[in-house]
Amino acid sequence: MNHDAQMDYYGTHLATCSSDRSVKIFDVRNGGQILIADLRGHEGPVWQVAWAHTMYGNILGSCSYDRKVIIWREENGTWEKSHEHVRHDSSVNSVCWAPHDYGLILACGSSDGAISLLMYTGEGQWEVKKINNAHTIGCNAVSWAPAVVPGSLIDQPSGQKPNYIKRFASGGCDNLIKLWKEEEDGQWKEEQKLEAHSDWVRDVAWDPSIGLPTSTIASCSQDGHVFIWTCDDASGNTWSPKLLHKFSDVVWHVSWSITANILAVSRLFSQEELQMQPQIDHLP
Amino acid sequence: MKLKEVDRTAMQAWSPAQNHPIYLATGTSAQQLDATFSTNASLEIFELDLSDPSLDMKSCATFSSSHRYHKLIWGPYKMDSKGDVSGVLIAGGENGNIILYDPSKIIAGDKEVVIAQNDKHTGPVRALDVNIFQTNLVASGANESEIYIWDLNNFATPMTPGAKTQPPEDISCIAWNRQVQHILASASPSGRATVWDLRKNEPIIKVSDHSNRMHCSGLAWHPDIATQMVLASEDDRLPVIQMWDLRFASSPLRVLENHARGILAIAWSMADPELLLSCGKDAKILCSNPNTGEVLYELPTNTQWCFDIQWCPRNPAVLSAASFDGRISVYSIMGGSTDGLRQKQVDKLSSSFGNLDPFGTGQPLPPLQIPQQTAQHSIVLPLKKPPKWIRRPVGASFSFGGKLVTFENVRMPSHQGAEQQQQQHHVFISQVVTEKEFLSRSDQLQQAVQSQGFINYCQKKIDASQTEFEKNVWSFLKVNFEDDSRGKYLELLGYRKEDLGKKIALALNKVDGADVHIKEEKEESEFLPSSGGTFNISVSGDIDGLITQALLTGNFESAVDLCLHDNRMADAIILAIAGGQELLARTQKKYFAKSQSKITRLITAVVMKNWKEIVESCDLKNWREALAAVLTYAKPDEFSALCDLLGTRLENEGDSPLQTQACLCYICAGNVEKLVACWTKAQDGSHPLSLQDLIEKVVILRKAVQLTQAMDTSTVGVLLAAKMSQYANLLAAQGSIAAALAFLPDNTNQPNIVQLRDRLCRAQGEPVAGHESPKIPYEKQQLPKGRPGPVGHHQMPRVQTQQYYPHGENPPPPGFIMHGNVNPNAAGQLPTSPGHMHTQVPPYPQPQRPQNGWNDPPALNRVPKKKKMPENFMPPVPITSPIMNPLGDPQSQMLQQQPSPPIPLSSQSSFPQPHLSGGQPFHGIQQPLGQTGMPPSFSKPNIEGAPGAPIGNTFQHVQSLPTKKITKKPIPDEHLILKTTFEDLIQRCLSSATDPQTKRKLDDASKRLEFLYDKLREQTLSPTITSGLHSIARSIETRNYSEGLTMHTHIVSTSNFSETSAFMPVLKVVLTQANKLGV
Repeated sequence: MNHDAQMDYYGTHLATCSSDRSVKIFDVRNGGQILIADLRGHEGPVWQVAWAHTMYGNILGSCSYDRKVIIWREENGTWEKSHEHVRHDSSVNSVCWAPHDYGLILACGSSDGAISLLMYTGEGQWEVKKINNAHTIGCNAVSWAPAVVPGSLIDQPSGQKPNYIKRFASGGCDNLIKLWKEEEDGQWKEEQKLEAHSDWVRDVAWDPSIGLPTSTIASCSQDGHVFIWTCDDASGNTWSPKLLHKFSDVVWHVSWSITANILAVSRLFSQEELQMQPQIDHLP
Repeated sequence: MKLKEVDRTAMQAWSPAQNHPIYLATGTSAQQLDATFSTNASLEIFELDLSDPSLDMKSCATFSSSHRYHKLIWGPYKMDSKGDVSGVLIAGGENGNIILYDPSKIIAGDKEVVIAQNDKHTGPVRALDVNIFQTNLVASGANESEIYIWDLNNFATPMTPGAKTQPPEDISCIAWNRQVQHILASASPSGRATVWDLRKNEPIIKVSDHSNRMHCSGLAWHPDIATQMVLASEDDRLPVIQMWDLRFASSPLRVLENHARGILAIAWSMADPELLLSCGKDAKILCSNPNTGEVLYELPTNTQWCFDIQWCPRNPAVLSAASFDGRISVYSIMGGSTDGLRQKQVDKLSSSFGNLDPFGTGQPLPPLQIPQQTAQHSIVLPLKKPPKWIRRPVGASFSFGGKLVTFENVRMPSHQGAEQQQQQHHVFISQVVTEKEFLSRSDQLQQAVQSQGFINYCQKKIDASQTEFEKNVWSFLKVNFEDDSRGKYLELLGYRKEDLGKKIALALNKVDGADVHIKEEKEESEFLPSSGGTFNISVSGDIDGLITQALLTGNFESAVDLCLHDNRMADAIILAIAGGQELLARTQKKYFAKSQSKITRLITAVVMKNWKEIVESCDLKNWREALAAVLTYAKPDEFSALCDLLGTRLENEGDSPLQTQACLCYICAGNVEKLVACWTKAQDGSHPLSLQDLIEKVVILRKAVQLTQAMDTSTVGVLLAAKMSQYANLLAAQGSIAAALAFLPDNTNQPNIVQLRDRLCRAQGEPVAGHESPKIPYEKQQLPKGRPGPVGHHQMPRVQTQQYYPHGENPPPPGFIMHGNVNPNAAGQLPTSPGHMHTQVPPYPQPQRPQNGWNDPPALNRVPKKKKMPENFMPPVPITSPIMNPLGDPQSQMLQQQPSPPIPLSSQSSFPQPHLSGGQPFHGIQQPLGQTGMPPSFSKPNIEGAPGAPIGNTFQHVQSLPTKKITKKPIPDEHLILKTTFEDLIQRCLSSATDPQTKRKLDDASKRLEFLYDKLREQTLSPTITSGLHSIARSIETRNYSEGLTMHTHIVSTSNFSETSAFMPVLKVVLTQANKLGV
């Protein structure tokens, strides 16, 4: 049973993961499908895979019920395990790479309620920061905010490097969406708590489009609701939910298109439905 | 992991699944006394608030009751879907009474919370259950074999399920079937369970293992399978859970012997039928899979027995257990660490003490040591097997190029029931196209650029313009491509030379007198000096005299000054002419400084050739005039700058209508960057179509500038680059990768464009030079180096791969139309077999499109219809529309938001690799199960290409073919033996073959083996295949053809079919023939 399928940065390689504990990588260039790696290392079903940005080489993160996060890496055409992160006490349900501007940082959400941040510090070393008890009885999803200072396309960049604020969103079994922000001292702090779902938040997806004054997050839940959260103010404090749709049963996954004007919503039996976003039609 | 706890010795009931938030009701247990031996009783409701990390449960309401309870359940009776009404709490009391409470009233603090009460039963009511299909039906069991069915709508008179069982016994458990609403089961401590059919009003089956040692403390139906149930025994001599299937009711299907002592309660998860909780007198709480007997989880508990255990209906990972030590504990079965929780408490403490040195001793407090015991239990592992509810069954994720990757896991129920289900695991890649108009306009633009048909394009745009401004802009753009562009510009500004000539003639006729007057003056002036008469040269002291003196001394300058001073302008100018250029210029300046006429400044500018002045200082309302003047007079080298300047003024100083007009100035100036800036300011440029509006103009203007000004336009400004890459991104997002590449500016080092270009190139499957050098080296030193490993992707080792390939070679379903980049057939064939590529091309409809990637048709025409599918339906609906729908086809318009048909990509298929015989088409066999409903008409070999095979990319490959052909590489030396051996064998066969049919076959084989040689030249075959081929060659040399055939079979069954399909079948033919002929 497949649990995730993700294309790499170029859309030429497909990574899948399955309850048979495998992570597979296919070359899908020109519509072909050549299995180029069958990665073994997990001892339980593998829930999610995530490709790092291509500037770091071919790197894939995977997370599993076995409580492990594995970083896989291709070197000279061979995929191998590069790092194993074993600091979670329960199923790791979600992995998401930070925008490449920050370096190699992988956020991992686990059923132990914690979120860990795995940071590559060079020379094969990874540093772990852990947010304990982020979501009671489990974090189901993590999603990074794009690496922009809000409104950067509107006010023309003056050339100097913008002061990025690292943020990500998480959703969990406490029915909450939480927004986390890195403080100046490098510690992660809960910045916002978004409440609208009445059951487990299954997935959150931060709108990847950059340079717009509005931040947008999509969330979906066991309760069948899909919400679109928007925040207009620069401080990032006021988020308002808008119910996009109410389905009759659990919604498992939400995914924005690269240009973020389309949201794919996944639930069982009608495998995906594409929804144009009326309220963000003006976005590019 | 323990989440919450409440110190109560009580029966417990979770609020129904519909209810939000989650409540837990507790009712004082009738069987146990707590440590205080208090006989008070109460009914309490707690809220499960998981956002509160503490172990305390929030009490919502307490109701002091006169009853103590044997059983408490919470039914969803009369609950609406929103869960606004909280259902009904049903309690079984000590004296045959059943009491209905209204939980919402309890929470509200009302005094009257009892809805109804009935004490028809004899003895304590220990068993209660709500029918999940009709929530108004409640079954209850008590002593004397009493079972009643209560209708909450008519509570006064219960029904019975049939005659009482004999001998009379206590009913300890009762449960409604989870699948069939009229089936009920009851069980008693004597060990017997009875299944009742309420329609027949009688017991239909009695379940007993005749051991007489079952002492039923628990009964639960299988959540999914109607005929299965479990019974739990309280007897320490037989502490088992029996799984029964009523179809084989003579003995238990399975016996779970995981407890050491009698079992007190069980609970079967409705969210995952593989999770059964049980708690026993061995003080264990276990979670087992009743379908296998395996223990999945042992809850870490204290040494106390639990007498009641319940799953939370709403939160499937949560359960509650009531123990004899007077505590109800809420657990999560997902494991987790309690460290954070405790740490939080420690933090709270230290924050209360202000800092780590609360007493100002100068010594910070030592870190708090968490006691050893808790440390042992701080990490709790989760279930051995992941529960069903965290197994994500579906997903759709976007990726670059507007592709949508989707997967689903469809269960295909087989005849053997739920236990044997085949699962289909497919991943689909489809193209999402939503901006049809955008793409078609982009396509038109590309065509215009390609065909250089700019004038036509502009004219079309002019004709289609909705607004005057739009029309103007396009007219201005068009002029760029015409002769005498400046004249045409003037015309556009309303100054036609012919018209003006007429107007002037008219004006001159009207003021005839003036004309004459001028003439007269002229005559006069001519007359004066030439009169020949004497004249007096006055040198008097007046002005005239002074002028005279100056002139006489040749001091023109002073003379002119004097004339000017005396306001004798004409004299001054005339003298200045005589005084030379410099003086003239100065005099002109002075004249203009003095003169006040309305048109003086214009004249000034014309004479002084100072257009900057005009442009800088004219009233902006006269921008047209200023632009006209510039068009007429400005020199080519200053023209652009002046237009620019005017545009800038309009933009900066004008009101909004004037601001937009600045665009026209920029067009005249050919200043693309400023046009972009101005346009972006004036228009909402974020919508795809408005971006398209801008890009159309920009592209045309750039072309115009290239043509007319022969300027280097390859440098691209920041803003334009941003817009262009935004545009390319949009195109890419709609799947038009080639078009996106075509629009990206070429020679720029702007990182975002370079990045995008790289991404687009790679997305097209083209290797990009220099990609071996990632910008950030990543622990290179850590990984093994220098291994003689393969280099490219295509030479990866291919162990274990065979079972994954078959589907890749499937022909797409009939009518399956593929988009540019997602054609499974193109992959293996295109790059490696140039020899026969040409045959692929003709079948595709090729409209008059240039083959350079500019015109890759947008994928939108070919978006098939897709409906909501039933769950067991796999293939996309075949489409019958032609591949190249005309634009504006209503069907595709209607469907533009639908994803295109997915390509099955099986990662886990277990279909056997078919053994190929004699080049037979192999289709059908490998069709995924779900596709068997497809019409079988599609069975062409892959070589011929699929209908609607890619157009865009194919063209590029086709284009590059000639060079490939010319530079055919030699077969590597080590593989040359293969060619010689095979060719030699064919020759030997040919010479001994007699019938023409065999000869034909061999001839054909000889040709088709070229594919193999090509692959050898390209070195694209995997090492396993080549080594296999060498073995075949060796066996040919020893004339052991049967061994060769065995080897052949081995290769075919272990290799990627796409790699070998072109030549392996014919090789088999040759081997077979050789074997037959005995050559």
